[in-house]
Amino acid sequence: MKVVNHIREIRLKKGITQVKLAEDLQITRQTVNAIEKNKYNPSLELALKLMEYFDVPIEELFYLEKTKGE
Amino acid sequence: MKKNKLLIIALVFMVCCNLTGGLLGVYLIRGETGGFDYDLAGAVVVGTAIGLLFYFIAAKLSKKRNGNVPEVDERSIMLLKRYFMITLYVILLGSGAALIVVYSMGIHLIETGLLIVCLGVIYIVVILGAFVIKRL
Repeated sequence: MKVVNHIREIRLKKGITQVKLAEDLQITRQTVNAIEKNKYNPSLELALKLMEYFDVPIEELFYLEKTKGE
Repeated sequence: MKKNKLLIIALVFMVCCNLTGGLLGVYLIRGETGGFDYDLAGAVVVGTAIGLLFYFIAAKLSKKRNGNVPEVDERSIMLLKRYFMITLYVILLGSGAALIVVYSMGIHLIETGLLIVCLGVIYIVVILGAFVIKRL
């Protein structure tokens, strides 16, 4: 199973840049990019911060994608 | 405030290490340079000051370009942890293998000056690697 997120779509919908998000959550822009490309799964703390920042429920931000045979 | 305090402590520590290392080097080679070379010691102090100045300029430019984005976060710390773990094993196993090869080649004595040069090269490569990993 793979964790997939909708952060990029939600961020663009709200008109927030990667740099602004990075500044507000005190993370690097590279981390924002890695999370959006599903290359890095944020810690629980950062996931909760993202949830609070975008004001959306956690299931709207992250979900599990089942691979074949699971 | 806590972050600033840590940064100041780290900077002071690094400057102290630079000065101690440089001045110790000048002191150790006093036999070859005919006494303690004050010009060289001055160069060590001025070099450290210029290095510090470069750091402040780079930090200012970075802040201007990236805004209030931090230098490191949870992901860069995780990447650095992995990098240093791999580096540890590579250096441990690599230096062991190199020693075995050198010994089997019939070299039983090593000059300490050569060891210092080798270690210096390893330090530089590891530090440059850490900078690259931090930017990933």
